[in-house]
Amino acid sequence: MRFVASLVISVLTLAVGLPAAAQQGVTDSEIVLGCSNSFSGPLAYTGEQATKFGVDLYFKVVNDAGGINGRKVRTVYYDDGFKPQEAVANTKKLVEQDRVFAVIAPQGTAPVSATLDYLEENKVPLLFPFQGSPITRGRKYVFSGMTLYDRQSKMMIDYLAGQRKLKTFATIYQDDDYGKAFLTGFEKDLGRYNLKLVAAEPVKRGVTDVSAQIAKLRAASPQVTFLVLTPGPGAQALKEQQKIGWTDTIMVSSGPLTDEKYLGLAGEAAGGVEGLSLWPDPLTSDLPGMKAYRDAMVKYFGKNEPNRYSLSGYFAAMLFTEGAKRAGKNLTRESLITALEGVKGFESGILPPLSIGPDHETQKQGFWVRVEKGRFKQLTDWLKSE
Amino acid sequence: MNVRRAWPLLVVAALAVWPLIAPRYFVFLASVVLVNVVVAIGLNLLTGYTNQMSFGHAGFLAIGAYAAALLTIHAPAIPVVFTLLLAGAITAAVGLAFGVPCLRLGGLYLSMATLAFGFVITEAILNLDTLTKGADGLRVPVARLGPLPLGTDAARYYLTAAVAVLMVAAAVNLVRTRPGRAFLALRESEIAAQASGVPVAAYKAAAFGISAFYTGVAGGLFAFVVGFLSPDAFDVFLSVDFVVMIIVGGLGSVPGSIVGAAVVTVLYDWLAAFQNYRPLIFGAILIGCTLFMPGGIVRVLARR
Amino acid sequence: MTWATVIHVVVSGLATGAIYALMALALVIVYNATRTLNFAQGEMLMISTFVAWAAQRALGLPLVMALVVAVVAGAALGWVVERLVIRRAIGGTHWDVLLITVGLSLILRAVAGLVWTHDEFPFPSFFPSAPVSLGAVRLAPVSLGVLGASLALMAALWALFRFTRLGRAMRAVAQNQRAARLMGISVERVYSTSWMLAAVVGAIAGVLVAPVVFLSSKMGLVVINGFTAAVIGGFGSMPGAVLGGLLLGVLENLAPLYLPSGIRYSVPFVVLIAILVVRPAGLVGRVERRKV
Repeated sequence: MRFVASLVISVLTLAVGLPAAAQQGVTDSEIVLGCSNSFSGPLAYTGEQATKFGVDLYFKVVNDAGGINGRKVRTVYYDDGFKPQEAVANTKKLVEQDRVFAVIAPQGTAPVSATLDYLEENKVPLLFPFQGSPITRGRKYVFSGMTLYDRQSKMMIDYLAGQRKLKTFATIYQDDDYGKAFLTGFEKDLGRYNLKLVAAEPVKRGVTDVSAQIAKLRAASPQVTFLVLTPGPGAQALKEQQKIGWTDTIMVSSGPLTDEKYLGLAGEAAGGVEGLSLWPDPLTSDLPGMKAYRDAMVKYFGKNEPNRYSLSGYFAAMLFTEGAKRAGKNLTRESLITALEGVKGFESGILPPLSIGPDHETQKQGFWVRVEKGRFKQLTDWLKSE
Repeated sequence: MNVRRAWPLLVVAALAVWPLIAPRYFVFLASVVLVNVVVAIGLNLLTGYTNQMSFGHAGFLAIGAYAAALLTIHAPAIPVVFTLLLAGAITAAVGLAFGVPCLRLGGLYLSMATLAFGFVITEAILNLDTLTKGADGLRVPVARLGPLPLGTDAARYYLTAAVAVLMVAAAVNLVRTRPGRAFLALRESEIAAQASGVPVAAYKAAAFGISAFYTGVAGGLFAFVVGFLSPDAFDVFLSVDFVVMIIVGGLGSVPGSIVGAAVVTVLYDWLAAFQNYRPLIFGAILIGCTLFMPGGIVRVLARR
Repeated sequence: MTWATVIHVVVSGLATGAIYALMALALVIVYNATRTLNFAQGEMLMISTFVAWAAQRALGLPLVMALVVAVVAGAALGWVVERLVIRRAIGGTHWDVLLITVGLSLILRAVAGLVWTHDEFPFPSFFPSAPVSLGAVRLAPVSLGVLGASLALMAALWALFRFTRLGRAMRAVAQNQRAARLMGISVERVYSTSWMLAAVVGAIAGVLVAPVVFLSSKMGLVVINGFTAAVIGGFGSMPGAVLGGLLLGVLENLAPLYLPSGIRYSVPFVVLIAILVVRPAGLVGRVERRKV
């Protein structure tokens, strides 16, 4: 009898919260979007900023101004703690239970790629994921967000080897998909200039000491050393460079790394570091879109400092809004895809005029910066990767 | 036909009609619950019956999952049933190779060693990236039962349910037989068991091997149900979740394992909506259960 | 590689290893008293470091005072945790306490995230990082300082366990609780002192490691290295914890210097497997004999 009771409990717990009938995420008054993201685990900060203080920030502005064609946007987020199996479960729940219209701004290569096939099969748009590996290419329902890593590598090499005529390159890279994607990109792009990496040192995730890697890189005496790391280890590498008094190399940070966070962590060790920046300075840029972003942040989340993670989420919501407006009153998944594909010369006031083609890549540019007096100073105009 | 005879049939019938009546997401969630049921039973056979706690079962799950995925990729002709058996056997072999030296140690030391084992396995997955694709993650192809591809949530559910029912039945029978009674004797007092002529070392190793086998098979199911594997999936907190399942459900009880797995899995899924508060709530529940509900749900029900 | 480079890398590894050793010691102190692994050690370390940092920012304290704040916060946290939660579960199985500490680690990390966000913050260091030259060898004061401070703390711990009444009581409890109780030692007091002592050692390790791994809600994860060190050394053995920590730190640094990239990071875990399979009680540990 005990066993039967236990089983009844098991079945009942399963049956809790069976769904109410719903549309496909669009009604006359509402659009439902959502994503699975990291709210705990290693990327909790990025995840929370991009969604609650980024995507939601822009939608608050839109909703207070009357919504998109009269529809207010509502968002649903679930925590996956950067675990792919949880991302799969959350994404299924979003699509099948919450009946979201589209998935917007999920984070991380492994969690995102775990859900790619499922979303494509179910014809659910996956919009502007916060990751740069080219796994998102060539899918009908997927639009990439961040400038993809291979494009970043191309811009970095074209600028340094092409324009500045530098000859010897080395890299210290994160030993995962992010680092390896850049490594492959560097090797390919340097090949076009008949150059090779003189040293490439992997760093394991969560490592506490990079002295050996920096020592080996220094022994190869490169003119340029690429840092393809996350903020913590990136700052550690700069501090280690300072520790051994290595000055005759230009440290160059990858796009995802080039932000104020890592500058703050490295402190004075970051002086003179260069890098590819994907976004204008969130605190000081006087572009009109950036001012609007900061004003909105002050208005809705006064305690939260502007940063590039929330900016990227804000921008994703902005692009969605542009697409949904173009799709008009008859908003369907298909009409959204068509509308986004038709975006030409969109003025965001944040990035240069943006066009999305059939390749579904929204960002393809970056500009060069150098750290001076603790901030990134813009050295070039927007670089192109076409 | 009395009630005791009837309920297994009722359960099987309920499992069989579930995909017909439940919404799609709950079919998937039920598959995850069933995978966790198999792990919880495996862990409970080790812990509840021989008093040895493992904090490395996420590692065993990973071995089974990667073994099944790699077998399906490189030997797609093998029917999924054999793939799962092989996944279980490989996991049991690795488990024994690692476990036997540690079994000489006391119960707590085994916990430490299994915890370390969990770290070792995720490191191994990262480092054997030519095979496992490391941190990029591994896409698991659709399982095949002969010519039949198991490509839908319902198909994967039926596979999982069938395997889970068999594994539960096997566990129920095992604990009633001579080895099962020997396991219980081990839990009560190893030395007394030895004095009564139970070959302690052999039975402990057997319990460890069976536990690893169960978890390996569950790992194979996990691979097919989730469809994507990466080392991030199998961290120490997953091992802890499994321990929580058997503590919440009830140590040394097959029904307890089932209830624990179901409650914890559904709770965890439900808490995902609480975003940053999830660890807080889950942690509080964990402490509360340990302090105020020793013996788990099964004990609470039995008292009523 | 030149010798000068190798020496720099080894010293850097010893400094990291010394911090691992402190974390391993904190784990071992708790283990010896309450026979459990404190899963929340890392999060307790993280909280005390955060408190020190917050006090330093709010009150403009010098770093030494921040260290004092960390120590006090650590001790208070250790006491509260032991008194309020752990002691209630002492009578249960060993994994009851372990599970409670798991729950605590989840809660503490979530609380830190809610209070200070999950962001990473720079933490000031006691020691400058500009190198000093000794002949051809360049050494960073920060490595030497961390190493020196850790060794001093270890020496203090050794003296505490060797020469004080409290230390003897703790060793007696570690060896045999029932006998210790019969000899008139207050085992409960040893429990709570051990938790406080471990939390203090952790807090100091936290202040030393925070400039390196940065302050964040996830910094507690470095204690995994302390755990590995303790297992390599032999869980329960304090000399083993120190040996394991230093060995791990140096291995982690030397392997990238000499081994190809594919296998270098396998070294610590190959050592760990070898220890588990060949000598499961660790380098220094002994297998405990169990009696009826």
